[in-house]
Amino acid sequence: MPADPTLLLLDALAQALGLFLVAAGLAVTFGLVGVINLAHGELLLVGAYTALAVDRAGLGYWAGLALAPLLVGLLGLLLDLLVIRRLRERPLDTLLATWAAALVLRQTVVALFGPASHTIQPPIAGSVTLLGAPYPVHRLLVMVLALLVAAFLGWLLFATRLGLMIRGTVADRTLAAVSGLAVARLEALAFAFGAGLAGLAGAATAPLLSIDPQMGLGFLLPAFLAVLVAPAGGPAGTVLGAALVGGGESLVAALASPVLAQLVVLAGAVLLLRRVAGRRVGRER
Amino acid sequence: MSREPLLPALLFWMALALLPLAAPSWLLGQLAQHLCYGLLAMSLAYLWGQGGLLSFCQALFFGVGAYAYALAGLGKLPLLPTSPTLGLLLALLLPTVLAVGLGLLLVTARVPTGPAWAVLTLVLGVIGERLAVASSYLGGSNGLAGLPPLTLPHPHGPVELVDPLPTFLVLLVVAAVVQLGLARKIASARGSLLRAVREDALRAAHLGIDPVAVRLRAFALGAAVAGLGGGLFAAQFGFVAPPLLGLGLSTETLVWVAVGGRGSPLAALAGALLVKTVEGLLGEWLGAGWPLALGFLLLLVVLFFPQGVFGGLLARLARRERP
Repeated sequence: MPADPTLLLLDALAQALGLFLVAAGLAVTFGLVGVINLAHGELLLVGAYTALAVDRAGLGYWAGLALAPLLVGLLGLLLDLLVIRRLRERPLDTLLATWAAALVLRQTVVALFGPASHTIQPPIAGSVTLLGAPYPVHRLLVMVLALLVAAFLGWLLFATRLGLMIRGTVADRTLAAVSGLAVARLEALAFAFGAGLAGLAGAATAPLLSIDPQMGLGFLLPAFLAVLVAPAGGPAGTVLGAALVGGGESLVAALASPVLAQLVVLAGAVLLLRRVAGRRVGRER
Repeated sequence: MSREPLLPALLFWMALALLPLAAPSWLLGQLAQHLCYGLLAMSLAYLWGQGGLLSFCQALFFGVGAYAYALAGLGKLPLLPTSPTLGLLLALLLPTVLAVGLGLLLVTARVPTGPAWAVLTLVLGVIGERLAVASSYLGGSNGLAGLPPLTLPHPHGPVELVDPLPTFLVLLVVAAVVQLGLARKIASARGSLLRAVREDALRAAHLGIDPVAVRLRAFALGAAVAGLGGGLFAAQFGFVAPPLLGLGLSTETLVWVAVGGRGSPLAALAGALLVKTVEGLLGEWLGAGWPLALGFLLLLVVLFFPQGVFGGLLARLARRERP
């Protein structure tokens, strides 16, 4: 395929930033609450279907984009209260429970919307010329949104009192609790926030792809790998991880084939994961 | 649970052996298939309950076993003869070799048995399913059909295993042998080593146990049992396709084992039979609601019955036996 290198790089960048948007919420739940949330892909799914439902109701795309993070954040709060909190001492069971929650959410979506795939028209159709190549406007919007989310996360975590409290809880849960922090409430908040980010990611990327009930897992694994291979902590680390996984996949897909790209990313991540796993996921509580 | 009480196992197998006296033959055929799933469930219970290695890809080995049987049964393997018996042998061998290979890659001392391991298995499951769908040699997403059934030696020449009753009896014997073998293994010194590594790999290593070797053996044994189940399933079903090694079946296996009881292969097997039987009764009526019900079931069991339904019963019995 005679691909235009500018377009190739733009695609890789779009993929990386889109992946960051998905991975950001996962990084929040994993990094801040210590929960590997296998339902993250399905939370994203609910976000995408929220955008779809709102769009169909005639309220337009922007209303859906605003509603999705709120609705999914609420769902996350519920998930934390009913499930995650009860399993705090059993990390392996937390994993299993989020997988079960994923199944429930996915099948609920199937029951409500059917198994077929749907599409949403992007709010601003058409493309602009960027560096001499035409590029769809909505993709640029998603990229900008991802950068905004990264900046917001950085501000929230490192420049606010709430961020300080959350970081304190992550550093030492017990010490934070005896210092008078309501750790359970902070963790519930962080989990709901991570879920809300998934909802935002789902609604934001919805016009770029076909929406079907199976799309969750397709997002979960790359996002998860991006979080795990992140070479540094915080939002900046997640951006780099997403660049590594998303950019890499996009380039291999363009230069070779999409199937190969997925396999290369997964296999590469297995090897990387093997190196970082002992260090990063190793804290068995 | 370290030692399984023998009596419930014997009673369970005797009850199943007496079933052909009362049950119609369609039910026996169905149970024979469910016993294949039971083998898969037992392999996961051994890995997860005893070894602490929660696997999201246990169906991968079941599927590889099924495909191995299919390839040998259809004579698609280079240099090897067309033979169902060879297929069954390969269904044992190939998953084991695959597990050892993947294990050498993954089961290192540094990767903990916790969540990271589980996520790695999830990735492996996805890779396996995509490879099977992408491979035209394996029939792509259509899979391979028209597999020959197993043949049994007989004084009047070999007999094909197609009728429900003999199939059921063969499966019954295989499953019983595997279950009793696993129970013995769990009660043995090797079983204690596996639990020691599960509880604290570092401490076990300091006591001179090689945690990598212990986990690798468990992973390989689990793969062999799952592969055997897959091979026997393919022999009965006559058809293999990518869902046999996909995440869907792996998830179902998790449900069976969680519902039955992760600590004991017998409980897990009973869980598989129970859930599959309920699916047979309600599945049609619930339709697309069945996967939803499975999700809720898994969620409830994880939250409220971590020992599982039968696992809790067995544990109570074990306590009564040895106060």
